[in-house]
Amino acid sequence: MSAEAGSEGDKRIRVQISEQDFLCKNGCGYYGTPQSKGLCSQCWRVSEMQEKRKQDYAKNRSLLSFEKFEARKQTTDRRASATFRSLLRKDSSNQQGSPSPVARQQQHRQDQTPRSRQLSGESQQAREKFLSFLHGMPKSLAHDISRQTQHAIDNILAHQHIEIDELSELVQNFYQVMTDRLNKHPLMNDINAKVSPEEVMQEVEQYVCVRTYPVLFCAKTDEEVADLSLQDRIRSLHWVTAGFLETNLDYSNEKVRDRMDDAITEIIDINSRRGTADKLECLIRCSKSIFEALKDSRSGAPASADEFLPVLIFVILKGNPPLIQSNLKFISRFALPTRVMSGESGYYFTNLSCALQFVQNMNADSLRMPKEEFEAYTSGNQVPPLTESNCGCNQAIKSMENSAKQLAELIEKQKTMAVNIDEFRERITKETDEFMTEVRSFTRNYPSVDLSIPKSQPSSPEANRDFSVTVPTVTEAAVKAEENDV
Amino acid sequence: MNSATTSAGDVLRFKVVLLGEGAVGKTSLVLRYVENKFNPKHLSTLQASFMTKKLNVAGTRVELNIWDTAGQERFHALGPIYYRDSQGALLVYDITDEDSFFKVKNWVKELRRMLGETVVLIIVGNKTDLNKDRRVALNTAMEYASSVNAVHFECSAKTNVGIEEIFLDLTKRMIERAKSSESGNKSSASGPGRNRNILVVDDNQLRPETKKGCC
Repeated sequence: MSAEAGSEGDKRIRVQISEQDFLCKNGCGYYGTPQSKGLCSQCWRVSEMQEKRKQDYAKNRSLLSFEKFEARKQTTDRRASATFRSLLRKDSSNQQGSPSPVARQQQHRQDQTPRSRQLSGESQQAREKFLSFLHGMPKSLAHDISRQTQHAIDNILAHQHIEIDELSELVQNFYQVMTDRLNKHPLMNDINAKVSPEEVMQEVEQYVCVRTYPVLFCAKTDEEVADLSLQDRIRSLHWVTAGFLETNLDYSNEKVRDRMDDAITEIIDINSRRGTADKLECLIRCSKSIFEALKDSRSGAPASADEFLPVLIFVILKGNPPLIQSNLKFISRFALPTRVMSGESGYYFTNLSCALQFVQNMNADSLRMPKEEFEAYTSGNQVPPLTESNCGCNQAIKSMENSAKQLAELIEKQKTMAVNIDEFRERITKETDEFMTEVRSFTRNYPSVDLSIPKSQPSSPEANRDFSVTVPTVTEAAVKAEENDV
Repeated sequence: MNSATTSAGDVLRFKVVLLGEGAVGKTSLVLRYVENKFNPKHLSTLQASFMTKKLNVAGTRVELNIWDTAGQERFHALGPIYYRDSQGALLVYDITDEDSFFKVKNWVKELRRMLGETVVLIIVGNKTDLNKDRRVALNTAMEYASSVNAVHFECSAKTNVGIEEIFLDLTKRMIERAKSSESGNKSSASGPGRNRNILVVDDNQLRPETKKGCC
């Protein structure tokens, strides 16, 4: 290879123009196009037909076996994701026979049908984590757990078209049966057992949720619509600031502002997590940030629910988290019951539910203001006045504060400059006087030099004191004249 | 079915909600109980809204999850979300504030309507250290409490008088309910579903012990 500057570019072009890449992926000898996934038009049509048949088959089967009219209504909405799901199902049935993940992957690679996809990154990761967790347990027990869980996942994927509440029932039943099974298992009750049934259940739940997330999350379109309308509502409530909610936040404190930003980031992040535990952890971190912010706002006393809830509501209004209701429903449907009903996560989950309900029902009464005022602000016809209570968290205040600070600094600088000028002026006058006396003594000693300077002398000292501006020129001239003379 | 009493090992877990108007001292009450501190400056905890306390009552290990609720009037409608599935409720009022006592009466009505008799209700008059400004007579409050099948206590979070007793009594009552509902569950052969198992180790009576779920 030559060391030419354009060699890299050449290489790339060479790859693009290689004829192999343009040929149909089925190897029929015709040319394919990227629009049809690298297939030629003939093969593309065939693969499309197969795909469609597969979808129809899935649809028909669900209709025949469950007779859900509701499901039929929804299949149209789901068509796009159904492809993915049917592939997932195919994928998992492939896996059942082969125990090791490596073998599964190899098998997966071998059977590359058009459009087939590997497991998503999250699923892959979750599986690895789950398997490594099971690895630390007694073999027979691990095998049983893995088999049951895989069975449950297959079951969920196979029943993806039934009502979401029934799906929830199915998943919760599985948790219950699994817990009972674990509780009865002799190896689990062994004193030497490293893990408790609760821990196992948490791993199982995590794995099930991540693997079947596309099926379980936001499956109903009307829930998505509800979420969008809630987001619209929050947008129309943009004018509700921390002051209206009577929070005790000290927004002039930069640390408090940072904490609030953290809280908002976390609550938005809920939607990007898959496992219910991960989602709830985001919520806990969000709540902790809120408590930190409250703590920084008022000299260290721990905050109570009276203060926490308004701030949580404010965080929701500011963050406008995407699909938050669907996320809540997902958690309440598919999380282990202990997570949402007890403990710290349960408490914050309840608070989030409360806050959302408050936002949904928020009206003039809940903010204690006249109805007309509320309507005017919400419709955007009027802007709330900037009183001390409601402007505390305005972003503009921050920049105004900065400007004020800079102005104060400038004024200070100006003052010192004025002082300096005065000092300078004094020095000039003093030095002028000194020069004048010197000049006078010189002229006295040498009276014959020049008559023009002695003439101006008598008037200049008095005049110079009154008009100091003219002083330098006069003195300079005098000094220059003197120097020249010397 | 006392569905939220979850068991982890042989620890009974109870959810207790704190209800009452703002500024009656709900938070101080819990902080005094859990941390034994009144002056908030000395506290190490970041928050005082969700607290846990582990107890051992006559051999039964108990974990109390104490849920603080927002007491402002505007959040009143959210109450049902908070007290759902709770086994105990502390209804706190300020003995120097008659309104806060009326508020407690409202809560009692609501809780009895929504949760029935499954929940243990304790009415607590706080701030007995301000006895000279008392507005709610002890007798009135006690009579009211017994009329609604609730227990009444007075305490002072500030001077730490009567706090421990309240929670001990509450815990004992909740354990009692949990046990009776457990035996009730057993006899009625609850079907599969979301019922949780309660593992009870009883020292005093010889009941069938370490019960494990159905099926």
